[in-house]
Amino acid sequence: MIALYLVAAVAVFAVARALIEKNTGRKLPYVNVMNFAVAGALVLLLDHPLSLVAAAAYFVGSTLEANAIASTYAGGVKR
Amino acid sequence: MILALEVTFGLIALAGAVSAALIRDSYGKLISLGILVGGIVPFIVDRGYLDVAIAVSLIAPIATIFVLMAVRRDEA
Repeated sequence: MIALYLVAAVAVFAVARALIEKNTGRKLPYVNVMNFAVAGALVLLLDHPLSLVAAAAYFVGSTLEANAIASTYAGGVKR
Repeated sequence: MILALEVTFGLIALAGAVSAALIRDSYGKLISLGILVGGIVPFIVDRGYLDVAIAVSLIAPIATIFVLMAVRRDEA
């Protein structure tokens, strides 16, 4: 149970830092931290076999999203 | 869910929503949208709607990628 509180505290801290930060490039690592913390919380919330699949799906989706934003912010593929 | 955790994830979702409304930079808006989804998914999982959670967490990034195309066209 204490792991869940710890992970939620990490998520709140990461969100606070991401919102305080002005530079977009510095926001992105904190958003990644929040995504990992939420993925950990999803596993710990419910004792069900499918919750592992849900956490894996959230992990894949949020990583894809963060990478898409970062890649476009960095200039993207030159056409 | 435990009340403290409900307050925590609710605060995350509210912070994402408020900052998505207030931030003017388009990349910052998309990042806030990601924070909003991250706050909402634990509530879906906690009720036991795991299939809905899987669908949401796979569809939300696709929506973000579509918006990113519009952002990039606007910049170029």
